[in-house]
Amino acid sequence: MLSLQQLQAWVDQRTGAISAFRQAAQRRVPGGAKLWNAFPSVLLFLFAQEVVLGIVMAMYYSPSAAGAWASVAYLNDQVTLGWFLRGLHHHTSYAMVIVGALYVGYLVIVGGYRRPREVYWISAVIIALLCIGMALSGSLLPWDEQALGRIAVETSIMASVPGGEPQRMLLVGGKEFGNFTLLRLYSFHVFVLPVLFTALLLLHRRQVVRHGEVSSLSADEARARAVRFFPHQLFWDVLAMTLVGTVLLIATVNTHGTELFGPLVSGSKFQARPEWYFLFLNQLLHYFEGPAQIIGTVILPGAAVSFLVALPWVDRAESSSLKARAPVLAGVGLLMAGIVTLSAIAVARDHNDKEYNKGVAQAHKFAEYTRELAKAGVLPEGGEAVLQNDPKYQAITLFKEHCQNCHTVAGEGGSEAPDFSDYNSRAWLSALIRNAQDPRFFGGIKRKPTDPKHEGMDPYPAKDLPDADLKALVEYCLSLSGEEAAKAAHVDAALAKKGADLWESGTYNCSDCHEVTEGETGDAPNLFGHGSKAWLVKTITNSSANDLFGKDAKMPKFGQKLTPEQMGQLADYIIESAQKPNN
Amino acid sequence: MSTDPSSDQPVQQEDASAPAEDSRRVFMKVLGVGGLGACAAAISAVPALAAFSYPLGHETTSNGGNFLVAGKLSRFKPGEPVLVDLFADRVDAWSRMVNVKIGSVWVINNGDNKLRAMSAICPHLGCLVDYQKAEKKFLCPCHTSWFKEDGSLESGPSPRGLDDLEVEVKGNEVSIRYRRFKLGAKDKEPA
Repeated sequence: MLSLQQLQAWVDQRTGAISAFRQAAQRRVPGGAKLWNAFPSVLLFLFAQEVVLGIVMAMYYSPSAAGAWASVAYLNDQVTLGWFLRGLHHHTSYAMVIVGALYVGYLVIVGGYRRPREVYWISAVIIALLCIGMALSGSLLPWDEQALGRIAVETSIMASVPGGEPQRMLLVGGKEFGNFTLLRLYSFHVFVLPVLFTALLLLHRRQVVRHGEVSSLSADEARARAVRFFPHQLFWDVLAMTLVGTVLLIATVNTHGTELFGPLVSGSKFQARPEWYFLFLNQLLHYFEGPAQIIGTVILPGAAVSFLVALPWVDRAESSSLKARAPVLAGVGLLMAGIVTLSAIAVARDHNDKEYNKGVAQAHKFAEYTRELAKAGVLPEGGEAVLQNDPKYQAITLFKEHCQNCHTVAGEGGSEAPDFSDYNSRAWLSALIRNAQDPRFFGGIKRKPTDPKHEGMDPYPAKDLPDADLKALVEYCLSLSGEEAAKAAHVDAALAKKGADLWESGTYNCSDCHEVTEGETGDAPNLFGHGSKAWLVKTITNSSANDLFGKDAKMPKFGQKLTPEQMGQLADYIIESAQKPNN
Repeated sequence: MSTDPSSDQPVQQEDASAPAEDSRRVFMKVLGVGGLGACAAAISAVPALAAFSYPLGHETTSNGGNFLVAGKLSRFKPGEPVLVDLFADRVDAWSRMVNVKIGSVWVINNGDNKLRAMSAICPHLGCLVDYQKAEKKFLCPCHTSWFKEDGSLESGPSPRGLDDLEVEVKGNEVSIRYRRFKLGAKDKEPA
């Protein structure tokens, strides 16, 4: 039998892995175990978490202009815990930006950049920058209206710098956004940046092993208090990881993941803002306009990063005490304060911007609507094509195909038949009664000399029909549309009653031609249910029915061409588009 | 890798000063590292595994099962089999395609307008079978399975004959219910 010791020895003789682990475990941590030493381990943990989540997300993601949004919507709304994967990946990216920045700040305060820790320090700064790079590239991949809004601004800034145009084209993969843009972003996000990050973490760990964790104690005291990495320091490391992980878990559940906005469509009022860690840069641009823009986009951020990288050489202090390093600390503090202030100004400005907040609210609504539509699958064109899943879109298509040559809806269409733009509204009914032969109603109908002689409804000018009575008649007509429609139109019952009395009294001869009881036939259309879906479907089916327009109707009988479902969609479309005057 | 030999000293001191307490605390810390570490790993591993396994319990593509229009009856004259491509809307994960080819079917008119439809997929390993005019038989070109005109297996590695599909004739219009079956199995079972 092979004992465990023998197996270990066999493996170790060949790979050296076990003694390497043992050595790492027994490494002494100067100054003793403490939570503050956990930064690199926490970053490693967060990165590993991103890799695990990212690999599964990559199994559901299509880095193409047509597929990106639809595939993320599928992941978010259909895959088991897909929303959680996205949400945790997103929140963890924020955590990496924060922990990276905190680590850099911590190293500044404890003097962890001082000789001989220059490489130790610079690798930490690059790690923090890579955290931002990974978060930024990832935030664009959903290809929703937010991502497209962001990348448009970000790449424009890139191009505004002298010599920036070729850089922009290299990132975008051409002049315009498309498949190459997504493939490049995706490659950077999943290959280039993570590989660099791994290399930098390894380099940084090498520095930690070489110089030991930073300690504010004197070298002798730190050595005296040194403990083994495992389990003493690793315990703190794992505790910190678990705490950060738990916070992220709670945040993800509480926020229900992260928003996926709708695809970019023309006319969206949503103004995309940069991620919070870039708000300060965005704010900076407000102060440098025109040719000075380069100060805000390149010179100041470049100077800040250069200052941080050069910190080991900028700091000339003899000792690493806080007092001795006061000027350097003040410099870094000023930088941090500037970033925080600029970010706060940006947040406050957006908070008070009504138009912006209206756009955001609209974008959330649009997101909900489009993602519900996406559940039936998105046409191969992707993105905006999701709107074609809407029955209303199908109705619009039907309307364009069969109705638009004569009728108008939402301001578009022909004028040979009544305009439905505000169909069955009070204004529409009033105008119709005043003059049904107006081109807006029945006046545009083309009749051949051979057609049966047509006697339309006489005009009712104000001298024949006072406004007050017209109002009452209109209210009565609205009440004929059925209970539901009357309720939606907030019909004034008293006014409608007055209208009904006027109608029945024969003052205006309405009841001579129009019947209002279901099924009865008169010389003009029976107005029972007029304006309701059922009435519209009936009219579309056969407008020349005896109880409708009879022999006067010029409209084809669509009952033979369209299915009842399609006619229902058309009726809904006419009613709905009339309710939204701007639509 | 500690290269400083003098740093061995303090750890020994620490170990010597309170050995009993230390071993208990060390044990608790080891336990803590293991327990907390497992929790921390589970935060991402569990949902990742759940999402990874999504295709096990969900349909990720729509595979029809409906009757699809194959053409007019007059298209299928008695005698030689006709290869028909069937079209339908198809949902593949996030994308929806309108009227795309779902599959190919061999249709034979056995006289009296009695139609027989067979999936063109060889039940062996899924290649498409071809009709050989000279032999009046179907041949799978991949592994040389021969099928008679009625679809029954004559020779070759296929475990069964060609799979029959339901045919519906309404008036002049022929429809076929397209389905896929398990490959390599002796019996015809839905895939």
